[in-house]
Amino acid sequence: MLYDLRRANVSVKWLVTCLLATFGVAYLFGGWMVGLYAGFTPGKVAATYAGPEMAMPMPPESTLVVEHPMTMSAFGESDVHQVDENLLIQDTHVHVPMYGVIAGALSLVVLGLALPKAWHLGMITLLFAAPWLDFAGMWLTKLVSRDLAFVTLLGGWAMGLGYTLVTAVAMWQMWPRKRGGTA
Amino acid sequence: MSWLIRAAVAGALLHITPTVILEKRPEAATRLAPGADAFFAREVHLSDPDAHKLHEAVDWSPEDGLLTFYTGKRGANVVSAFLFVRVDTPHGPIEVAVGFDPAGAVRGVEITKATVETKPWVLEALRAGLTDAYRGLKPGHTPEGASRVRDKVGQLPAYIAGEIDKGVARALAAYGAFYR
Repeated sequence: MLYDLRRANVSVKWLVTCLLATFGVAYLFGGWMVGLYAGFTPGKVAATYAGPEMAMPMPPESTLVVEHPMTMSAFGESDVHQVDENLLIQDTHVHVPMYGVIAGALSLVVLGLALPKAWHLGMITLLFAAPWLDFAGMWLTKLVSRDLAFVTLLGGWAMGLGYTLVTAVAMWQMWPRKRGGTA
Repeated sequence: MSWLIRAAVAGALLHITPTVILEKRPEAATRLAPGADAFFAREVHLSDPDAHKLHEAVDWSPEDGLLTFYTGKRGANVVSAFLFVRVDTPHGPIEVAVGFDPAGAVRGVEITKATVETKPWVLEALRAGLTDAYRGLKPGHTPEGASRVRDKVGQLPAYIAGEIDKGVARALAAYGAFYR
């Protein structure tokens, strides 16, 4: 074990606690933002990343015009937040590194937990796999099938699970509690 | 531990870019086609050569090769045609709505979407009268809104005005080539 958070200096414990609390706040607001702009169901995620279902998946041989009436409510439906390919490229470029830094920071906390090696490896894998799933889901939804929107949700829940596991075990092991043993 | 559980629930994260709606599309439609009592969507599915032509002209291709023009009519008379154009900037997307009068000149420009970061820049550029600079432009003209407001605003609003110029240029090119 590289280090043991149970026996770490109180300053180190406090640093880890503040880090986890900060991530927790960020996750709470992240969840709120997801609710505002995308949603928590595969259908809403598909609408955000796959866009409206295209009646014409391939370009026509010559330019084709189709006209139909519009209602005001139909204009309103267009206000659904959508992420097209260019924006997803930008999002992936900007946010995957940040997710990597967060997973790395949480993994450093994991290394200080008194757990079997298999648990260390499993939790670190979960922490990094979650954002991979998150973005893989977005790209699969856009490029392969709307039905794969669930992969993004899976990634999101995996991120929440990873954070919760790390935080719960770290808090349990770092801080004294009223129990028989020492903290 | 309850806060941890709440964090886990809210931690069902997927990343999204925080777009800010500056003006809802129905409101923009009403402003760009005043008095219209019926609206129609004209979807133009571009062939590869036409999409290429548009890209050559304004360095832009609409998503999925689909241009959607909206026409506002009062009775049998066309009041306005308009379209929504997205411009991707390094600070997130902005959406520009450009309306044309029956003579084919720009009647008005509305900024419908921005991002948390760009919103204050857009608003400052709008307060400086940016959209007035586009009124009357016709296909073939070059939007110069940014240069009109540059002396009245800060560096970043002037920058975003240049991005809005791009949106108007795209709308002019699309309208000129594919609306009629």
